[in-house]
Amino acid sequence: MTGLSSKAEEEFSGLLPADASASAKLFFEQFQRAGLPGRRVESWHYSDLRTRLRVVPPVAHAPDEAARGVARHKLGASERLRLVTIDGFFAPELSDDFSGVAGIEISSVGEAEFFGGAADPMLDLNAAFSRGGFLLEIGVGARVEPVIEIVALAGAETDRSRFGRNLIRLGAGARAAILETRDEGFAGFGDSALFIELGEDSQLDYACRCRETAGVEVQTLNVMLAARAKLRAVSLLAQTPFLRRQFFVSLGGEGAELQLSGAAILGRNDHADLTMVVHHNAPACVSRETFKYVLGDHANGVFQGKIIVPPHAQKTDGKMLCRGLLLSDDAAMSAKPELEIFADDVACGHGAAVTKLDAQQLFYLETRGVPHIEAEKILIDAFAADVFDTLASEGLRDVLRQDLSDLLGEKEPAS
Amino acid sequence: MIEIENLHVAVAGKKILDGLTLKVEDGQVAAIMGPNGSGKSTLSYVVAGRADYEVLDGSIRLDGVDILEKSPAERAAMGLFLVFQYPLEIPGVATMTFLKAALNAQRKARGEAELPTIEFMKQVRAAAAKLNISQDMLKRPVNVGFSGGEKKRMEILQMALLEPRFSILDEMDSGLDIDALKTCAEGVNALRGDGRSFLVITHYQRLLNFIPPDVVHVMSRGKIVKSGGPELALALEASGYAEYAEGAAA
Ligand SMILES: Nc1ncnc2c1ncn2[C@@H]1O[C@H](COP(=O)(O)OP(=O)(O)OP(=O)(O)O)[C@@H](O)[C@H]1O
Ligand SMILES: [Mg+2]
Repeated sequence: MTGLSSKAEEEFSGLLPADASASAKLFFEQFQRAGLPGRRVESWHYSDLRTRLRVVPPVAHAPDEAARGVARHKLGASERLRLVTIDGFFAPELSDDFSGVAGIEISSVGEAEFFGGAADPMLDLNAAFSRGGFLLEIGVGARVEPVIEIVALAGAETDRSRFGRNLIRLGAGARAAILETRDEGFAGFGDSALFIELGEDSQLDYACRCRETAGVEVQTLNVMLAARAKLRAVSLLAQTPFLRRQFFVSLGGEGAELQLSGAAILGRNDHADLTMVVHHNAPACVSRETFKYVLGDHANGVFQGKIIVPPHAQKTDGKMLCRGLLLSDDAAMSAKPELEIFADDVACGHGAAVTKLDAQQLFYLETRGVPHIEAEKILIDAFAADVFDTLASEGLRDVLRQDLSDLLGEKEPAS
Repeated sequence: MIEIENLHVAVAGKKILDGLTLKVEDGQVAAIMGPNGSGKSTLSYVVAGRADYEVLDGSIRLDGVDILEKSPAERAAMGLFLVFQYPLEIPGVATMTFLKAALNAQRKARGEAELPTIEFMKQVRAAAAKLNISQDMLKRPVNVGFSGGEKKRMEILQMALLEPRFSILDEMDSGLDIDALKTCAEGVNALRGDGRSFLVITHYQRLLNFIPPDVVHVMSRGKIVKSGGPELALALEASGYAEYAEGAAA
């Protein structure tokens, strides 16, 4: 590292409580050794967190009545079964009662209890600071039909640092569909971690919609799939002042399958970095990474994908695709797909392309009476919406489609 | 009624229309014939409002209103429709979504309420049946993977739904087999009358057998060089465009 610590790093050091556990201190030391990642760290080259994070807001406390009031107001009513976090803390008072739902166990977590995943300074920082997440377990063989929604809300109305850390675990053969709604608002700093562990033959549909993310936010997902487990995961990002969403996936058992997709609908000065490292750690695993970026105004989209295939992972099938749609000359897209292949009998590939709206298609729609703005929306929707098709859960697909259409409804005319 | 006067148009810096004047009366079917590259498709794009075509001079009036400053969608709402020589494929956009967006946009522009979905479906199904368009085609994305003839039938389907007052058919007959040609021509003829008018661009008399024109215009090098009755098309079929070639028309 640079040797010099940034002002933000020093502030973190001051914020770590004196009575923090030994393990929290260890993680913090690990973080300190690496420092806040920035341009000079290869995997963070396009997202200069070190420069962006100037001031560290106070660390969020467990929610009090006032915080619950703020969150409750935003939460509104829903048909779905919900699990709510406030400033990263599991809030049973706002969550539905799951005790009657067969196959689901939910428990609170104190300090970080589950580890693993990648060596990453922001994950270490999270482990040092996180308090009060949840553990959601779907039991062996359980088939949970209704969509379970995790809602992440803010309680504080001023800038806070949030360190949510949660675990979703599916037992062997279990099936579930989970929707995560992240809506903590623009204020503050976020460094969250979500662990997903899929037992043998289990299947999870997981959709995450990031609505308003913090001024500076990092989301880390650590995913482990056992043999023949299937994960179909879609992220829909919008209104991200500075977001890094990173996935560390281990396909750890033979025949596991990953569908990792996403769409980022960006405008203003939004910066969204989707980075994924997919380890094919067993033979005959399949992975598909497909990401679409719609970039208006001065938006900046980043895609970094790496598929790693060690020598023993024969019959690996991995394909990565990233596409950008530039709506403005001031928007930018950086894409870095990589394959690290050490096995010989594999089928792997990647592609990246950046395009603009097709003037002829727009004209065709307009000659049918569809106004220019509407015609743009139709084409943008068509560009992005197909990433939702990887989800098996129709309920989740519908939610994301509606969200996308709402997002485009709010979209300013392209200049 | 559409009146085009002294229209000069450049595309990518190259002059394509060179003082074109043309009038199509209400209820009239006018045919335009002319050699490849004479500017027929350019004319239809300019009338429809394509932005990258530079109008250097002249005017286009629809029912007395100058439409040059109007957007393509506004022109469509005024009753203009273009059957594309090469209809566009739009992957990812379902045909029904597209048809509904078009129909409702035009209704909205005219201050009418949206068509209820059931009524919309009924209209589409009825129009599709007349044009031998299968339900399967309607389920696919707009024109994606359609054969040339299927694309043309889909154009006529749109025309039937939108009931435009003024339609330009740019080589509607290209790519159609004999049966499809008949079906599509029937679609066009069904709209005739009621003051609706048509500008039929074609290379072949065969189409005009099915859609008999009231007048025939010959276009060459960006302008109308001769106008006459249906017999003009027959004469062209026999003798070609030699007499209108470079120098000859001057
Ligand atoms: N974008 C463009 N850039 C340059 N030249 C163009 C462009 N579009 C059209 N042209 C030229 O304009 C001329 C007229 O083309 P247009 O398509 O209008 O002819 P047409 O009469 O419809 O021919 P056809 O009978 O083959 O359909 C042609 O010489 C063509 O090459
Ligand atoms: Mg043409």
